[in-house]
Amino acid sequence: MPEVIVPQNKTRAMAGGIKRDHQGKEKVADNRATRDMPRNQYTPMFESFRDELDEHHDRRMRIGKVSRDVTALSKKIVRKLNGPLPPRIQADVDERLKEIAGHLTTIESDVTGMNRYRYPLICLEEFVEAISFSHYLQHQKLLTPSQAQGALPAEIALTASDYLFGIFDLTGEMMRFATAVTALSGSMPGTGTKGSDDDRTILNDLQDVSSVLQICPPVGGKPSIYAKKLDIMIEQVLKVERVGYGITVRGNERPKGWMPDMNDSDGPQRDQEDVSMD
Amino acid sequence: MTDSSSSNLIDPSIFEYLKAHGEEELEVGEKLHHITSALNRHISTCQGFLSRIHSTPSSKLPPLLKQVENDGIKPEIDSVGELARFASNYPYYKWSRSIQNVVGTILLTGWLGGLETESRPGELGRLLTIEEVGQLLKVPVNLKDRDAFHITIEEYILALTDITEELSRLAMNSVTMGDIDLTVRISGFIKDLFAGFQLLNLKNDIVRKRVDAVKYHVKKVEDVIYDLSLRNLIPKHEAASS
Repeated sequence: MPEVIVPQNKTRAMAGGIKRDHQGKEKVADNRATRDMPRNQYTPMFESFRDELDEHHDRRMRIGKVSRDVTALSKKIVRKLNGPLPPRIQADVDERLKEIAGHLTTIESDVTGMNRYRYPLICLEEFVEAISFSHYLQHQKLLTPSQAQGALPAEIALTASDYLFGIFDLTGEMMRFATAVTALSGSMPGTGTKGSDDDRTILNDLQDVSSVLQICPPVGGKPSIYAKKLDIMIEQVLKVERVGYGITVRGNERPKGWMPDMNDSDGPQRDQEDVSMD
Repeated sequence: MTDSSSSNLIDPSIFEYLKAHGEEELEVGEKLHHITSALNRHISTCQGFLSRIHSTPSSKLPPLLKQVENDGIKPEIDSVGELARFASNYPYYKWSRSIQNVVGTILLTGWLGGLETESRPGELGRLLTIEEVGQLLKVPVNLKDRDAFHITIEEYILALTDITEELSRLAMNSVTMGDIDLTVRISGFIKDLFAGFQLLNLKNDIVRKRVDAVKYHVKKVEDVIYDLSLRNLIPKHEAASS
């Protein structure tokens, strides 16, 4: 009869449970490397390498986890903003920003100095997307890099490519917002009265942002990813231009709430804007 | 782009910011490309000279290693110095592959008995440490406290997997050239390194991929040793100690 095995807590270097054989006895096989291996003149060197690499992998995992959490929170902010804008949404956004701050401050020391460039921190793009969208909706202005850095609730340096790729993502949100509001209200959202100097619609803004980004030389990331993001942005502007044309020419013929067909020429492009950088 | 229509929406500072960063990146990228392509040329030359070890009997090895040092490694050192001086002004970039190759040529030359200095006579079978490689290249290693050019542990480990591959090839060729002692030395060395690699906790990355390949290098050498011992070709004193 197999004896009853009482699980015992053991402190182990590696988390992730204890391996057992078919009788439930703990396997000791994973200690083999450190216990049974004969030592030779290179063993101390490899042991020091092991410790260094472990430190590096741990740090990468910590950063990766925070990055995923902050990405998810940033996306939640964007989703909220895409609806109508009562004050409780600002409260919701502030709440999420507080959570983001909580996550990011845990890795501040992991991403200072040279480690800022060693590990991917995609979440900062998503963060810039979220706050620049919120900034645009409130002030109809493009967030500046220094404002973006100022809004980042942690002592982490925002790089030019974090900012730029965030703005690329912003154009996608502006497109979605423009389309939805145009469909609901029957006119392109904008400020000022028609014909006056400050008459501006979200379409004009999108066109301006895309021109500026096209004029500037590429910043950061792999050139192929940069080029892809640029193409997607131009495509998004064209879509809103079609919406603007449609509403101008046939606006009155359509019932309110009618959604223009966004995917007539190129359907499955919508998700490509979240091209990952690694 | 500072016309009236966009000035409302887009603060001019944004344009200036993006332009400045983009232009700097282009400039730095071109300069880095220029330096690394020169470095890669020196690496190829050096690896080319080193490939002659497979057809050079041990008696003629010292002059060959001298040539590797003068015509291969010296230019590499100069190029790495240039890269280090330039790259240290900018944030962390990756040149892993080139540096790995440089370290590989240095480790192989050193192991074969080259790269002797006054304090350190050339000696067959000596593995230069990452610190010694750093001294030779005149660059820091495994930096943690500041962002400057340095040799990383990963680059050194990857270079180790390069030389186990090269030495496993040499183990066979040295039998052909009649130097069975060298084959036995290589066998012991590769096995020691293999044991060392087992100590690392590797994640799914290039280091794991390369380290996993080392077992094939070990097997290649073991097959040679097996062939030799089957035919009683291994010198007795070596066989006893291994």
